[in-house]
Amino acid sequence: MKIAVAGKGGAGKTTISGTLARALARAGHDVMAIDADVNPMLGISLGLGMDDTERLAGIRQELSGSRADDVIHEHTIEGLIERFGEDAPDGVRVVVASRVDMPDHGCLCCGVSADRLLREMEAGGRTVLGDLEAGIGVLTRMETGSLDVVLVVANPTPKSIEVARRAVEAAAAREIPVLVVANRITGDADLEAIRSVLGDCDMAVVPEDPVIARADAEGIAPIDLDERSPGVRAILEISDRLTAVPA
Amino acid sequence: MTPAATPLPKPPLWPVDMPLEPRPRGPLWIGVAGKGGAGKSVLSGTLARELGRRGHTVLAIDSDPMPGLAHSLGIPEPAEPLLMQAAEKPDKGPWRLRSGIGPMTVVRRYTTPAPDGVRMLQLGKAGKDGLAPVNGSVNAFLDTVRRMHEAPALYEWAIVGDLPAGPRQLGAGFTPYARAYVVVVEPTSQSAMTGRRVARLARGPLGADVIFAASKISSREERDRVERLLGEKVDVEIPADQAVRDAEARRVAVIDAAPQSPVVRAVQQLADIIEQRGMESS
Repeated sequence: MKIAVAGKGGAGKTTISGTLARALARAGHDVMAIDADVNPMLGISLGLGMDDTERLAGIRQELSGSRADDVIHEHTIEGLIERFGEDAPDGVRVVVASRVDMPDHGCLCCGVSADRLLREMEAGGRTVLGDLEAGIGVLTRMETGSLDVVLVVANPTPKSIEVARRAVEAAAAREIPVLVVANRITGDADLEAIRSVLGDCDMAVVPEDPVIARADAEGIAPIDLDERSPGVRAILEISDRLTAVPA
Repeated sequence: MTPAATPLPKPPLWPVDMPLEPRPRGPLWIGVAGKGGAGKSVLSGTLARELGRRGHTVLAIDSDPMPGLAHSLGIPEPAEPLLMQAAEKPDKGPWRLRSGIGPMTVVRRYTTPAPDGVRMLQLGKAGKDGLAPVNGSVNAFLDTVRRMHEAPALYEWAIVGDLPAGPRQLGAGFTPYARAYVVVVEPTSQSAMTGRRVARLARGPLGADVIFAASKISSREERDRVERLLGEKVDVEIPADQAVRDAEARRVAVIDAAPQSPVVRAVQQLADIIEQRGMESS
């Protein structure tokens, strides 16, 4: 199964991706988490901490290393994932596609991009979970059938809902099933705000949760801080829901 | 005081990287960067309006393919980017800025007016087919920002560029005009890590100054946390302010809806810093 997580910046994509990856792994899935954001931070919500997350190498940058003796000979997507994958808790493997925070960050459009990794890698028996960059760019570069489901994360704010609407539209144009994740919900009015724009779509609700806020403040995984908090429990339910459907 | 314009190679096709060597830049040419949701657009829109009220002629640049800046400036989102009209598609080769049009013409003719004498330049918005339908606008945009230093009159302007989330556009040469970046950071680990990365790019290959704005701060502890997670001193503190949420829900600019609100006063402090450092730089 291949899952991607999209939405406006700050909507909670990374927090939901990391927690969901851990939940799927605990449920016995072989999880490959792809950090498809050029500002990669999935490591934090997977439980690696800020320092180790900062140390994860981006595949693109490693491949475009300028010194001849640095050239890495890997010709297959599987080989790259094998070489650059790192271990995260609960047996999750994580790989960073590309990072744009180095003086020499390589070309943004050449070589192995997050788009290409997600499009071309075969799920096989694994559960592949891609945490996308803010906005809908990566989604608009996917092909029909290259993903099994997109989780579109929406906060109850006008801008976040508008980005979610565009993401849902982009997924529909590619015949990719969508599950809207209404995040940071404090009441019915929030849900109504989202439904009034997105209409009658499949939706999961993650409540506003001080545990998740504290985890983000401290740079730890919400699932490690308190797996029984309402927000984390709601994400565990998304894991159940996704795996109840045959991949 | 106006730096001499230097000849430029032909701009590369989007989205190929451009060389990162710094170019001549105006003293008040600013980029606003940070993590998604940190408050970049609200801060950018309010800052542009505030600088306009102080008597500067202001160009507000919206390079986010997702909606954002227009509402914070107090204008409706334009239906299609005006820059499409300034773009041409030659028989061979990609879309480009029409020949004979320079950055100053773009700023005069292909920008949207906002209150307080601000003009808004837009990259174009992505729909379900991404940016492809507005490729003409995107390429004309890049031609414009990469030639900004060729227009002597623009050195007298203030520029406020509202960037999309993360470091992508800094790394890909979308902001060659920025002499300084306002790096917007919320009191969270993800926001601080983004702030560190953006600041590293800005000070390093982009050769720019950095101003740290702690955003959505509601206690001394939160401000301290931003400084601890960043490993940097915060230059200005933008408080968490209900006025921002109210204005956003009503789709109006916070500077119009609540001109005395704490967030607007904080942006005034930021404008002081920008003016002061701009004077020191020139």
